Amino acid sequence: MFRKIFLLSIPIFIFDGAIAQVDSTATDSLLLQVQEQLALSTPPPTPPLRTAASANPDISVIGDFRLEYQDQLKRHFDANMAETEFSFQSVIDPYAKADFFYSVSRDPGSGEFKGEIEEGTVSTLSLPAHLQLKAGKFKQQLGRINPVHPHALAFIDMPNAYVRFFGEEGLNDEGLSLSWLLPNHLFFQELTVEETDGPRESPVFARSLKNHYLTLAHLKNFWDLTTNATLELGLTGITGANKTEHTTNVAAVDLTYKWKPVQMNTYKSFTFQNELYYSQADFDSSRTNALGLYSFISLQVAKRWFVTARYDYTNKPDEAHFKEQAGSATLGWYATEFQKIELEGKYTSANEEDELNNFKKQFAQVFLRWIFVIGTHGAHQY
Amino acid sequence: MKNKIKLVILCCLAMVTNIFAGTIRVVTTTQDLKSIAEIIGGNKVEVFGIATGYQNPHFVDPKPSYIIKLSNADLFVTIGLDLETGWSPSLLNSSRNPKIQKGNPGYVDASAGVQLQQVPSSINRAEGDIHIYGNPHYWLDPLNGKQIAKNICDGLMRISPENKTFFEENLKKFNETLDSKMKSWMLQMAPYRRTKVIAYHNEWCYFENRFGLQIVDFLEPKPGIPPTPAQLVKIIGEVKSNAIRVIISSPYFTNSSSDVVARQTGAKVLTLATSTGAFDSVKNYFDVFDYNISQLIGALK
Repeated sequence: MFRKIFLLSIPIFIFDGAIAQVDSTATDSLLLQVQEQLALSTPPPTPPLRTAASANPDISVIGDFRLEYQDQLKRHFDANMAETEFSFQSVIDPYAKADFFYSVSRDPGSGEFKGEIEEGTVSTLSLPAHLQLKAGKFKQQLGRINPVHPHALAFIDMPNAYVRFFGEEGLNDEGLSLSWLLPNHLFFQELTVEETDGPRESPVFARSLKNHYLTLAHLKNFWDLTTNATLELGLTGITGANKTEHTTNVAAVDLTYKWKPVQMNTYKSFTFQNELYYSQADFDSSRTNALGLYSFISLQVAKRWFVTARYDYTNKPDEAHFKEQAGSATLGWYATEFQKIELEGKYTSANEEDELNNFKKQFAQVFLRWIFVIGTHGAHQY
Repeated sequence: MKNKIKLVILCCLAMVTNIFAGTIRVVTTTQDLKSIAEIIGGNKVEVFGIATGYQNPHFVDPKPSYIIKLSNADLFVTIGLDLETGWSPSLLNSSRNPKIQKGNPGYVDASAGVQLQQVPSSINRAEGDIHIYGNPHYWLDPLNGKQIAKNICDGLMRISPENKTFFEENLKKFNETLDSKMKSWMLQMAPYRRTKVIAYHNEWCYFENRFGLQIVDFLEPKPGIPPTPAQLVKIIGEVKSNAIRVIISSPYFTNSSSDVVARQTGAKVLTLATSTGAFDSVKNYFDVFDYNISQLIGALK
C-alpha cells in the first residue's frame, strides 16, 4: 500500500501536481516508467556553483605584436610588441562605473618600454534626464575610430588623415564628457559635449598655457534601415588652442553603413565607413585650411575571414600645400573572439617629401599584426 | 477656432498619456523571455525582445537603437549567467536608466533559482567557449520555464504591486498550461528515450536530459570552434557505429558541415528551434517544444 502511494507520488512531484488530474491508468503507468528511467539515467544535478562570484573587476590583458616592412628605410624589417594593454573595468557602486586601460609600449625616442594611462574614467549610471557624465582621461567622441582602441579596428595602421590631424594616439585628453540621449523615439540621437585640458601630443591642437581649453561637441545619429542594415551619421565640432596659442577649429563628419544579416551575423557582414576632417588653424599672421579623409570597405567573406580596403587623402593642418594619398588592403583571420592575425599592404604617395618624419614621396609598407586577449574584456561599440 | 484646436490637441495628449500611463514597459534579451513576460504581464505590459528567435544569443550586435528601448524600460529581463555578456552590459550602461541596472527592482535575472548543468570546476579557454557559471541554455528544459516565469512574475510584482493578484493568476495559468503540455511532450518522446543524436553546438543539454535523448558528440570540436575535417571524420565514424539518424542544428549555423556528415551516413539534419520566433510557426514559448518534438519524432519514427 505504502509502496503504491510512493510510486504514484513520483510523477505528481515531477509534474508539480498536473498528473494528479490524469484519469488514465495506462498513461500514469507509462509516465512512471519514463520518470524512473530518467531518474536512473540522469546524473544528479550539480549544485549551482556561481564560481566567478568575486568582488574583483573584469581584468584583461591584450597583446599587439607586429612585424613591419618599409621599403624606404635602410633597415627594412622590424619586430615590435606595439602595445600591451591592461584593462580593469567594474561598477563602483549603484551610481557609477570605472574603466581603466593601462598601456605599455616602446617609446619611439628612447626605445624604452613606457607605461601610461590610456584611459581612466568614472561614468555615472543614474543621472536624471537621460544624461551620462564621464570624468577622467578618455578617448574623445570624435568620429568613428577615435573612441575605439586600435586592436578593435579592421586595419593595422591608422588612416593618414587621422594621424596628420590628431596624431597616432588621436584625441585622448583629460576632462569632462557629458552625453545626452535625445528624447527621439524615431531614431537614436546622442549629443556629447566635452571640455578638456588640451592634448599634449597632437599636431592640430596643443595644451595652452592660458585659459584656452579644448571644447568638443558630437551629435550621433543612428538609423535601423532594415533588420540587417544600419546607417550612422556623426557630426563633430572641436575648437581649441594650437601650438601658437591661437585657435584651431575642426569640423568632422562620419558616415557608416553596415550590413549584417541577423540570422547569420557570425558568417557575413559588410561595412562602408567614411570620415572627413576639415580644419581652420590661425597662426601669428596667417590662416591655414586643411582637409583629410579616409574611406574603407570591410567585407566578411567567411566566419573567420575579413577583407578590408581603405583609401586615405590628407593635407597637413599647418601645411595645406602638402597632399598625401594612400591605398591599403588588409586580410584578417579571426581565430576566436580572443585572437586574430592581420596582414596589411599599403602604398603612400605624397607631392613632397615629409622631412620631419623622414618619409620619401612614395613608399610601401607591409604590416603583420597578432592580437591576443586573456581575461574578460568589455564589448566594443557597434 | 484656435481655442478649439488647442482643446482637441490637449484631449489627444491626455488620451495618449492615459493609454501609456498604466503600461509597464519591459525589455527582454530574448524572444522566449518576451513570450513568457507577455503571458504573465497580460495587457499590463508592452514587451520588446532584443535578440530575434533565429539569432545566436551569444553574438547580438549592441545597436544604439536598443538603447532607446532600454532607456524607457521599467523592467529588464535577462537570461543571465554569461549568455549575453558580449552585448547586454554595454547596452545597460549606455541606457542611462537607473531603474533597470543590476541590483535594482527593475532588473530580473531569469536564471535565479534554476538548477544549472555543466558547471565547470575550472575555467580554461583551451576548452573553447566554456561558460563559467554552467550551460546557459536552460530555457530549453520546459520545466525551467516555470522558474523563469516565477522570476518575471516577482519582477513585475516588485515594480507594480497593485497588480500582484493579476500577475499571480497569470503565473498559475502558465504553470497549468505547461504541466498539461509537459505530459503530452513526455508521452510523445517516451518511445525515443536513449536515442543517440549528434548536435552542432553544446546548447541542448537541458532539452536532452529532460526528454531523455543522448547527445553522443558535437560537430564543433570545442564550443565556438568551427567544425574541422578531422572532427567530421570522427563524427561520421560515430554516426555509422551508433546508427545515429539525426543531427541537431540551430537556425544560426550553416549546414555545410552537417550536410557532409548527412551525405556520408544517411543521417538527417534537423534545424530545431532554439527560441520563440525561430520559425514562423514558433510563435510562443510552448511552440518551441511543440515544434522540436514534432520534428524529432518525424525524423526518428
